[in-house]
Order: sequence, then C-alpha cells, then structure tokens
Amino acid sequence: MAVGREKPRTPDLNPCELEAPLARAEGVNFFYGVGDARFQVLFDIALDIPPGQLVVMTGPSGSGKTTLLTLIGALRSLQQGRIDVLGHDLARLDPAALVRVRRHIGFIFQMHNLFDALSAYENVKMALQLAGRHSAAEMRARGVAMLDRLGLGHRIDHKPRALSGGQRQRVAIARALANRPKLVLADEPTAALDPDSTRNVVRLFKELTVEDGTAILMVTHDHRIIELADRLVHMVDGRIVSDVILNDALRICEFLKDVDAFKALTPNELTHVAERMRRRHYMPDEVVIHEGEAGHELFLISEGEVRIERGGREVARLGAGEFFGELALLSGNPRNANVVATQPLEAYVLGEADFQDALGASVSFREQLRRVYFLRH
Amino acid sequence: MAAGIVPQTRSVPLALRNLIANKRRLARSVAGIGFAVLLMLVQLGFERGFFDASLGIVHQLDGDIVLMNKTKYRFGSEDPFPLADLAAARTVAGVASVVPLYATWLHFFWKSPSDGKSYVVQVFAFDPAHPPFLLPAIRAESGRLEQPDTVIVDRRARSYLGMASGANETEINGRPVHIVGGFVLSPDFMSDGTVMMSAATYARLSAGTAASATALPIEFGVIRTKPGADIAGVVTALRAAVPARLRVLTKSQLIAFERAFQAKLSSAGPIFWMGALVGFIVGMLISYQVIYSDLTDQLPQYATLKGMGYRTVYLVRVVFAQAALSALAAYVPAWLLCLVVYRIIGDVALLPLRMTLAETLLSLGLTLGMCLLSAAFAIRRVVVLDPAEVF
Repeated sequence: MAVGREKPRTPDLNPCELEAPLARAEGVNFFYGVGDARFQVLFDIALDIPPGQLVVMTGPSGSGKTTLLTLIGALRSLQQGRIDVLGHDLARLDPAALVRVRRHIGFIFQMHNLFDALSAYENVKMALQLAGRHSAAEMRARGVAMLDRLGLGHRIDHKPRALSGGQRQRVAIARALANRPKLVLADEPTAALDPDSTRNVVRLFKELTVEDGTAILMVTHDHRIIELADRLVHMVDGRIVSDVILNDALRICEFLKDVDAFKALTPNELTHVAERMRRRHYMPDEVVIHEGEAGHELFLISEGEVRIERGGREVARLGAGEFFGELALLSGNPRNANVVATQPLEAYVLGEADFQDALGASVSFREQLRRVYFLRH
Repeated sequence: MAAGIVPQTRSVPLALRNLIANKRRLARSVAGIGFAVLLMLVQLGFERGFFDASLGIVHQLDGDIVLMNKTKYRFGSEDPFPLADLAAARTVAGVASVVPLYATWLHFFWKSPSDGKSYVVQVFAFDPAHPPFLLPAIRAESGRLEQPDTVIVDRRARSYLGMASGANETEINGRPVHIVGGFVLSPDFMSDGTVMMSAATYARLSAGTAASATALPIEFGVIRTKPGADIAGVVTALRAAVPARLRVLTKSQLIAFERAFQAKLSSAGPIFWMGALVGFIVGMLISYQVIYSDLTDQLPQYATLKGMGYRTVYLVRVVFAQAALSALAAYVPAWLLCLVVYRIIGDVALLPLRMTLAETLLSLGLTLGMCLLSAAFAIRRVVVLDPAEVF
C-alpha cells in the first residue's frame, strides 16, 4: 500500500502522494451484547485515513459512527477484522501498548469532561505532561499558545466553572490538540460552539491537516465543517454507504491514478496536474469540441460518455477514465473531429500551458501520450 | 489560583487540586474525618492517661528492686506478706537497704472535711526516717509524720475528699488525725485519694489499738542496691534468698507487670481500644463517603484521562494521594483541637492526659490507614472504568 519513499515528510498537502494511511480499518464487524441479545452494529467496515485529510463521518444516530471512532481510537477492543493505527495492528497490542497508542491520538469528546479543580491551562497540561517531552516552561508556552489560538488567551487560569460552555469545549479541543497529534478523532466537537468559535476551530483543524499533515476523523453534522472537509463518509445501519472525496484536487488525483496515461507520473507531478485541472459539466448532446476549431484544452472524462464524430459520422465513443483533445495540443493543428456528450458529462479540463508544462516535466507522460496518439491514428 | 504565585511544577498536582477545589466538601471532609481522629486521639489519650495515673505511684517508688507476694495480681491489690520475710533480703550481697512499705486500698476510711462523709482511700505507711518514695514533697515532709496520728495527703485528690481544703483535722476509721502536709500525686481509676503516714500511725489506725507495726503484714519490700551493683545479679541472689512465696521484680519489671494487667486483664485497655476502633470505623465511613462521592462526580473526567492514554496506575495513585491528603488535612486541626480537649478533660477528670510522640504517630498512622483503606474500597470504580463510555 505504501510507496516506500524515504524522504522527509514535507508539511505541504500533497493530495496525490501515496502515503501509508494513519488509520486503516478492514473487514471490521462489531457486536454489542451476548447470546440472544447480541446484535451487530458494524458490518464489514473498510476505511483508509491518509495523512492530511479532514474526513467527516455522518449518518443517523445509531449508525455505528461513534463505535467505529472508539475502535479506531483503541478505546474498545476489536472483535473481528483488522485496524491499523499509526502503524500498529491494534489486535496485536497488549493493553499497556494500547494505552500508549492513545497518547498519540487527539480525542475530542462530545462532553468536554474537564476537571473542575484545574484551570484551563492545567487541563491542557494534563495532555502535555503525558507526552513527557517538555519542560514546565515549554509546556506552559505550548499550552498558552494553543489556548490563545482558540481565543482563550484571557481565560488561561480560569477554572471551568468560570467559563461558558463554548469556552469549555474549546479548552477540551486545546487539550486534544496540544501535543499536535498525527491523528485526531472527534465526536461532534463544535456542538457547543457559537458560529465565530466554530469558524475559528474549523480553521485550526484545516491548518493542522495542511501544515502538519494531521488526519482528522470527525463525526459531525455541522455544515460549516462539512464544507471544508476533504472527504465525507456516510454511514447507515453499521455500513459505510458512501465515501466521497469533496476536495477537487484530491478527487482528481484519485481519478488520475486510474488513468493509464498518468500512471507513470510521480505523485508530485500528478499533484501538479490535478491542481490545475478544472471540473466542467456538459448536458447531453452538448458539443464539447467543434471540428476545425483551434484546440487549447485536454479533456478527461470523470463521468458520462462522449461520441466522436468526423464528417458527421460517429467514429468512436469514450467513457469515464478516457481523455480526448490531446491531438490538437500535440500537433498544433485545428480540431479534427466533433466531440458530443451523449449523457450528462463531467470532465476535468487541463489548459494548454499547463499541458505543455506537464509534458516538459515528465518524459514518461510524453511517451504515454504519443503511444495513445499512434494508436488512435 | 494566580499563576506566578504557584510555582511551575512538572506535573499537575491533580490530587491536591481535587481536594481543595470544592471548599464546602473540603470543610465537610475535614470536619467528618477530623471528628473521627479526635475520637481516636481522645480514646488513645484516655488509655495512656489511665495507665499513667495507675502507674504514677509506681514510678515514684524509690528503689531498684521490689519484693511482693507472688499471688498479687496487680500493684493495687491487697495481698500482704509477713515483715519477717524481708530479713533474708538484707543479707544478700549488693543490697544497700530494704524498706518495708505498708499499704491498703480497702480498710482505711477517710472522713472528708468537705462533706463529712467517709471514703475509702489509698494508704501507704513507712518509717518516716526512710520514705520509700521519690516525690520531693514526701521526702521533705515525712519528718512530721514522726508525731503520732499525723498524715500527709494528696492535694490533687478528688475534690470531694477535701484533701486540698486546707483543713488540718479529720478522722480515719473514726479516729482523729492531723493533716500535717501534702504532696501532689493524682487519683487513678482505683483510688480517689492517697494518704501517707508512719508505720506506727498505720498500726494504730488499722488495729484500732496501739499495737506494734512489726506485727502487721506489709505489701512491699523496697530495695535499693549499692552503687555499681549488678541489679540482675542481685535479683537472682534475692530470688534464692527470700521465701519462695515472694516475687522479686526490678522497678521496670513492676511497671511492666502493672501495665500488662491494665492492658490485658482489666477491662480498661479493651474499652479504650474499642473506642479507638469505633473512631477508626466512623472515620473510614466518612472518608469513604467523601472519596466515593468525589469519584462519582468525576468519573467522566477519569474516563477521559484513560482515553487520553493515562494508565490505571496513575488514576489509582491520584485517588490514594487524595485520600492521604484528606487524612492530613483533617489530622492537623484534630490534633490541635485534641490538645485543648486534653487540657480541659485533664483538669476536670484529674487525668494526666498528654500528647506523646508515640500517640501522635500511632493516631496519624491510623488516620492514614482509615483513609487509604476506604480509598481502596472505592478504587474499583476507577479501575473498571471504560474510556469508550465517554464518547
């Protein structure tokens, strides 16, 4: 699964990079109760959470979201299937090792569960001291910075009783994120927050995914978060019924990986291409390319089908995963055929300059395209 | 709590914070546990006072070795032996002096100058030239006892005996006596007051005639050894020399003998221990209640700590530390209050109540024990806590 590249991780989000997922579930079934009362809450769950993704999990209550979250968080023992978290096969860890794995996960619980006896900072420090690698002064600096980042700079030494519900929840978030964990598991983290705080918190989540490559798996129905999510996993009755990539660049990457012509590109080159592609939609019978026009774009079909007509006669049909329009770009000649959508079409479009950049950057890409070119002519 | 005043410690003192966070609960806990501690301390103090009181006169004996009847089961039980039995002791090497001590706890009725009623008192009688007691007042005033029918009395006896009333005349066994001086001892649980007199006066008062004291049996032979003598050796030699019916004890053995009787044979020791035990149990119930309700309130927090990656051992430590801290928080005020209580009860009951290091350490140990034990009963809740429950 992993491309064993031994380069230091750059903090930039690189959606096309194939990296070991920080958490992966495979064939996970889970049951509550025993005997006649036993009932299944998770069915054959498979889920990969790569670094840098903000994954939002939705679904009606009782659909198993929280159970899945607690399984991935090593808070519950696995019954069937396999879960790997941060490189550990959870089923093979003894209880003490499971406890250690949890220290590398940032948990944000629905209830903030702060200690009333401790100040905001001390509650955060409970997490910081667990990491055991900071001096008292460093912990103070980190804790204060994190609280400050969440807009609680003026409440650092207040006890929870002196804080509003939203402020308490933000202290709990600060506690979960203070050690900059690689994996964050959150259950309705913004339920108690006002719109301003929510925006602030969501920005912080986004920042962590982009800058630190943190993976965040979050149960939420908050649209302000879903809008910014990279991926949306929907669960119903213990099954994952959809797993959609929302981030365009990510989506295109996933798509490009399966297109032969792009397979030879390195993740960096793929990212480069993906980030420059634009999504475009066409209605059935809409003409995508007119014969005789100058060609400035390469088209990649993500959904739907097109008909290629030359001289009013259909010569070919192309479907999802296939591309067209490369000839005019390679030869500089006008378009030699009409291309018409036969059904609703979604295509990714790459402009001429970016196309030429990609060609120049990758010898293999050029060769792949030439091969296709000769096959078609 | 203002930052800057509080030093930056490496880890959060969670147990301490939990203890002092809720002032009302802290006050309740200190009051409850403190009450139990006070109960224990008072019981322990009574026990010690009881021993101290009954041992007070034994400590004041001026001798290294004491002879008494083997059948005697305690210092204050009347079980006399013939004066003639002492003769053999005088011949033993290393013995400097042998002083006969007459005593009675049953037969001398003192007419109180205060209320005119008769009370049984503790009586010691001896040769006024050789008082076998260390009390300076007795040594200073024993000369006056050479006069017939004179007595010196315990000025700290129970007040109804009138020994501190300043009266100079009263009656013993219906015969007039002159009070010519006093000393300070204290009543104990057996006697309310002590009277000392010459052997001659003793003989006259007990027989009702002027019979010779030499005809009367004695309770003790108080022996002083020569300077530098080997006391254990002298004891061995005395055992061989004196009639077999006599027991030969060093002074410290006599003290141990009396203490053992009080602790084991008399009902006093067990009564005080029962009292202390009740205090211990009450303290345990109260501290269990405090710890349990505190744990219950904070279960989600503890579960969260588990979820974050804290080991159960850490949580157990926090709970025990909190129990120990609450024990200390209650102990200190209870200890101070106990000094006041000792003072008051000591003055009222004429009991020599005092705080000793041994008693302090014992009661502190018991207090810690009861709080830690109740923590141990409550700890299960934390141990079985499932962190998945808080999601």
